[in-house]
Amino acid sequence: AGPGRAGAERACLCRRERVRAMFYHAYEHYLESAFPYDELRPLTCDGQDTWGSFSLTLIDALDTLLILGNVSEFQRVVNVLQEGVDFDIDVNASVFETNIRVVGGLLSAHLLSRKAGVEVEAGWPCSGPLLRMAEEAARKLLPAFQTPTGMPYGTVNLLHGVNPGETPVTCTAGIGTFIVEFATLSHLTGDPVFEDVARKALKALWKNRSDIGLVGNHIDVITAKWVAQDAGIGAGVDSYFEYLVKGAILLQDKELMSMFLEYNKAIKNYTKFDDWYLWVQMYKGTVSMPVFQSLEAYWPGLQSLIGDVDNAMRTFLNYYTVWKQFGGLPEFYNIPQGYTVDKREGYPLRPELIESAMYLYRATRDPTLLELGRDAVESIEKISKVDCGFATIKDLRDHRLDNRMESFFLAETIKYLYLLFDPDNFIHNDGSDFDVVVTAYGECVLSAGGYVFNTEAHPIDPAALHCCRKRREEQWEVEDLMREFYSQKKTKRFTLKRAPDHGEREDAKDPADASSEKAGEKRNSKKSSHSLLSCPSQSFNSKLAVLGQVFLDNT
Amino acid sequence: SCSRAKDVTMPAKLPVNFFSTRSPVIDLFRGQLDYADQLRQDSEIVLYFFYAPWCGQSIAAREEIEHVASRLSDQVLFVAVNCWWNQGKCRKQKHFFYFPVIHLYHQSFGPIEYKGPMSAVYIEKFVRRVMTPLLYISSRSKLLDFLSNYEPGVVGFFEFNASPQPPGYLTFFTSALHSLKKDYLGTVRFGVVTDKRVAEEISLVHSGSVYLHRHANTSLIYPKDIMNFTAENICKWALENREMLIRWLRPHGGKSLLLNNELKKGPALLIFIPYNPLAEIHPLLDEITKVALEYHKCNKSQAAEADLQHVGDSDSPAFDSSVPDAHLKFSETFPIAKYPCCNTVVLPQWHSISRTHNVCELCVNQTLGVKPNKVHVPHCNFLEIEAALDSFYLQEHTFFQVISNTIECSNFLSFYSPFSYYTACCRTVNRHFLSFISSEKTIFQTPKVAFSSHGKKDNTQFSIPHIEDRNCFIPDLNISSMNITGLSCRTNKTLNLYLLDSNLFWIYAERLGASRSTHLKEFAAIVDLKEEVHYVLDQNQSLVGPTLENFIKNFSVLYSPLKRHLVDDPSVHFHEEHVVTEVTTSTFHQTVFLSAKNVLLLYYAQWCGFCASLNHIFIQLARLLPPDSFTVARIDVTRNDLPWEFMTDRLPTILFFPHQRKEQSVKFPEDFSVNLPNLLKFILHHSSLSSSEPCTKECLHKESVLQQGHISLLEREIQKLRSEISALHQAHDQLEAQLSEARREEQRLQQQKHTLEKQHKSLQLHSEQLQATYDQKNRELLEMAEKLQELADASENLLKENALLRILVASRGRKLQSKDEIEEPLQSEQTLSEDNDISLSIATAALEEKRIDNIDTVETEHSSGNRTE
Repeated sequence: AGPGRAGAERACLCRRERVRAMFYHAYEHYLESAFPYDELRPLTCDGQDTWGSFSLTLIDALDTLLILGNVSEFQRVVNVLQEGVDFDIDVNASVFETNIRVVGGLLSAHLLSRKAGVEVEAGWPCSGPLLRMAEEAARKLLPAFQTPTGMPYGTVNLLHGVNPGETPVTCTAGIGTFIVEFATLSHLTGDPVFEDVARKALKALWKNRSDIGLVGNHIDVITAKWVAQDAGIGAGVDSYFEYLVKGAILLQDKELMSMFLEYNKAIKNYTKFDDWYLWVQMYKGTVSMPVFQSLEAYWPGLQSLIGDVDNAMRTFLNYYTVWKQFGGLPEFYNIPQGYTVDKREGYPLRPELIESAMYLYRATRDPTLLELGRDAVESIEKISKVDCGFATIKDLRDHRLDNRMESFFLAETIKYLYLLFDPDNFIHNDGSDFDVVVTAYGECVLSAGGYVFNTEAHPIDPAALHCCRKRREEQWEVEDLMREFYSQKKTKRFTLKRAPDHGEREDAKDPADASSEKAGEKRNSKKSSHSLLSCPSQSFNSKLAVLGQVFLDNT
Repeated sequence: SCSRAKDVTMPAKLPVNFFSTRSPVIDLFRGQLDYADQLRQDSEIVLYFFYAPWCGQSIAAREEIEHVASRLSDQVLFVAVNCWWNQGKCRKQKHFFYFPVIHLYHQSFGPIEYKGPMSAVYIEKFVRRVMTPLLYISSRSKLLDFLSNYEPGVVGFFEFNASPQPPGYLTFFTSALHSLKKDYLGTVRFGVVTDKRVAEEISLVHSGSVYLHRHANTSLIYPKDIMNFTAENICKWALENREMLIRWLRPHGGKSLLLNNELKKGPALLIFIPYNPLAEIHPLLDEITKVALEYHKCNKSQAAEADLQHVGDSDSPAFDSSVPDAHLKFSETFPIAKYPCCNTVVLPQWHSISRTHNVCELCVNQTLGVKPNKVHVPHCNFLEIEAALDSFYLQEHTFFQVISNTIECSNFLSFYSPFSYYTACCRTVNRHFLSFISSEKTIFQTPKVAFSSHGKKDNTQFSIPHIEDRNCFIPDLNISSMNITGLSCRTNKTLNLYLLDSNLFWIYAERLGASRSTHLKEFAAIVDLKEEVHYVLDQNQSLVGPTLENFIKNFSVLYSPLKRHLVDDPSVHFHEEHVVTEVTTSTFHQTVFLSAKNVLLLYYAQWCGFCASLNHIFIQLARLLPPDSFTVARIDVTRNDLPWEFMTDRLPTILFFPHQRKEQSVKFPEDFSVNLPNLLKFILHHSSLSSSEPCTKECLHKESVLQQGHISLLEREIQKLRSEISALHQAHDQLEAQLSEARREEQRLQQQKHTLEKQHKSLQLHSEQLQATYDQKNRELLEMAEKLQELADASENLLKENALLRILVASRGRKLQSKDEIEEPLQSEQTLSEDNDISLSIATAALEEKRIDNIDTVETEHSSGNRTE
């Protein structure tokens, strides 16, 4: 007999506890054997520096601690980091990785620190030790952006800036994956430089897309020539698309969204085959590699954020079959051959498929997604658990292990797994709970849900962006309006201010007038242009689109 | 650290037992496929369970397999093979894309892959089917049993009298096994008849003939002369020609278009029942089958009636009666219509969210006119009904005035024909439509025709009911007289019938609105994918034949009384403390339309990124607006269906329902960014607070209320400012504390500086002293060096002197020699040489002394060197 609802819930909680145990197995061994190095080497039980020398695993795992509810350890680690981490070091660091792991990790820890019971200083969330650290780290990255195109170098020396003779070739994701962290920094600190450089880099990529609307894999940041011309949604490009969407959500920015939608159209046209996404030549659109990459598995999650749940589910189910074949996702999977690709058989315990499962489970509550979670827990425990932690799978064909545990295992894989099995986690808050914080800039509503995860799974509270410098101006306006509210005789006619639009728009007309009449609605529907910042509501057949059932479009 | 650690890898762990050693399942965890093949020789029936030890599905299925094995281990050999370990034979020979894979062998026949649900009962059922693919049918009643089943049956007739192995029997047996390969659900059942008299029942005369039974269409006999008599062909023939009156839907969990393909065929009735495939009897299923057979019985074939009878009364001894008898019996029970021609009219409603219907039964009572014949259920000619409707609408206000739960009827004369009059009975019908039907039944049996009515007083403006499909033939609508028999052929809304096991697929029922709290997992819904609607059979009624029949009938009638089911999110509870009111399907009307406040409603979905990031704005807005005149509400439209007119196709959508003008809702313009000032302006623009009329008493009152509101707002503002001030105070205190801390620090530093300075001084002193001693030593050293130099000089002199002396000695030697030669001249020089001798001895002594001195100075030099170091 099938398990009932209560049974399913119990199974869910039981798996959640297994994930928690997995976390501590890895985390404690890191602290014991590898700290203060960046990463744990699980086979030799020691540590190594990989992306710099920042105790990376600790920074990355910090907000996972809170999501697991371990407040005291969170507080301890915050202190350890404040004392122990130094960015004035002569280290060549990846601009991209430092941003997503270090800046992102510190920002999210800063924004969550009040929830974690850390005694925050008076200016929080607009000031705080972790924020200062994040800012410091981000400032170390700024020299990389000083190029003729505004697109950053891939590597920067934290002490000396860009090394002379540094290669100008950077991958697309290394250029377009800053807006979430940098815009948050700018909003919190009031220094616009971060958001500005991130936007400039995004625009440069947009300008250099091909005639058919695709971007390649690597570009020369000096000459803006594409060096690698493979276009797809995976390695080298992935988080660029992700950040267009997440930036649009976080900043309510139509321009970013319109860029993404254009790309999305081209991606569907040229790379999508039978719910798989292949690699094509960026100028011609011809298929160059019929492979699925492990990194591409974030795509269904991204689609679900903008409401394309049907397509997301179909692609997810494709990817899930690959997992079922190997117990993990190989870095490359040849779709026509149905097997791994030579030299790309590894699975470094990446989070992307689980991430998508978490987003999709929010949208559909489909038990199939919990099943993937179950499979992931079983696989990771059975295959990669060793005495000292969890080891990267070097080869999915025979499950040979490698001496590495990437920091994203604790930052992302475990976090998304835990969140998949913990539907009541504060991260899933749908707006029924919130905190009110009084800052020097006024009263501020925080923790109302809608957390935007950066590409290293560090959640950013979108409400926090409205808390600092900008709040003041808005507050005066709101107070004026409220005064108007209570006065009997209305003197002013209220017209809405058009959103600050970067893209071109139609002529402005008074929207308040237009919408007040029925005719206005009709005009709107005729125009058939809907807000870019919206999702389509789900179709009728989505009620039955669970347990693997998919529906073809009626059109 | 060790650089070789980078290249450290570790092979996968060695495989271990997957099943416990006490399990009845043989576990070949090293993937010994060759041994597995050997084992196959030992048993007639073998089940292979190919697994991967890391696979979640394999782990979940393990328990189920063990359960089946514990029940069948005496007849079936269960072998589990680890088909993942790359050193094992299995991995090397087989290439699976998923795990677990279950293969069955019946002796040498196989593999038959099991693709059904991974649940013990289903697996056991399938294994049993593989064990006995043919059912032995020994008697007539067993034959009827076999044929009455809803699933297609194939019967082979083989006479075993002539030979122990009649020709074709083996082929037939194999075809039964073969069908399990193709049709893993085992929908086509195979039976064998050996008795000639039993075979005659289905007009099989020759041994070796094969018969496919069908209910609605004529049954078939395998055309041996056209197709070769092979297992594959028989199987293919049966699968192609089988009749699926009612189908099980069993999605396998992977990506599939099953529901898409089935539901796109047209409206579908999905029936969810808990199903145990191993159970001997399925009373509920039989009842549903009966309904299905009757629904599909269009051409009243004899066989169908026989079955019907059998299903309804399976243990009746009347079964020995021949088929024509059954037919006769059936005709007698066929309801003979005595009722006038009627039409159900659903009146338009004022608001569609109400759970009630306005249903009227409009009947033409003809004193002269067509008399219904025995066979056909009476139906109204379209013109007649239209005429009746016309008259009816002229009279309708009389019905609408009545708000009653009892049935109100009235008669009125036709405007067109003096011979007929119409009767209308109307009443409010809520979801419990069945009670309506049953009560109606009694009414319709009286010549006075019933009518039902319900209405609201103010709905006159909407009172034109729509008639769908005007040019279509209107089927019989008299519910009481309409029979379900053959309805599928008479209605243009034919339903496909499907069964789902609620033990496995209850989630679909929940999605369609089945209650989550119910213990009895029975549910029925009609889903119309094209129209994007679904109807639900009230869960308060037990799922039995008659209710199901009525459900189908209600769907089939032209003005269907069924209401689109709106799925409601039951998990939402009303929270007073939530600043943003959560609206559901059931509270929508209450919160939005009935409340005396201005309502700002946000349509959202949890998964939509653009909605979730607006949460804080709506919370702020709700905290800002006076709660006694404004409601800020939201509805999750993925979990709450709304009537069509309130649906929206994009999320988020923001609607404003101004107080007193709720019907004139306004939409927040989409191309404006959603932020607090914009929302406030939007509300200000549309709120009904503004009025330009001259002030009356009411207005003054309003004004005062308004001002009161303002005051409370200002008070809240003050509160906020106070808290802001306190926050600033706190910050100030904190700064103060930090400052004093800094000052203390400074002082401490100052003190430290002093002590450091002191230390510095003493150190300087010390260093001066050291310098002095150093100088002194240096000087001493220099002196020593000088002395040394002197000594060296002296020794050099001595050496020179020595050499001189040697020369002297040599010259003296020579002189002595010459002395011998010249004694005389030597005598004179004697004294000189003695002088020389004395001086030599003095020099030697001095030299000796110097040497000792020299060693001494070297020693002192050494020790002083040590000190300066």
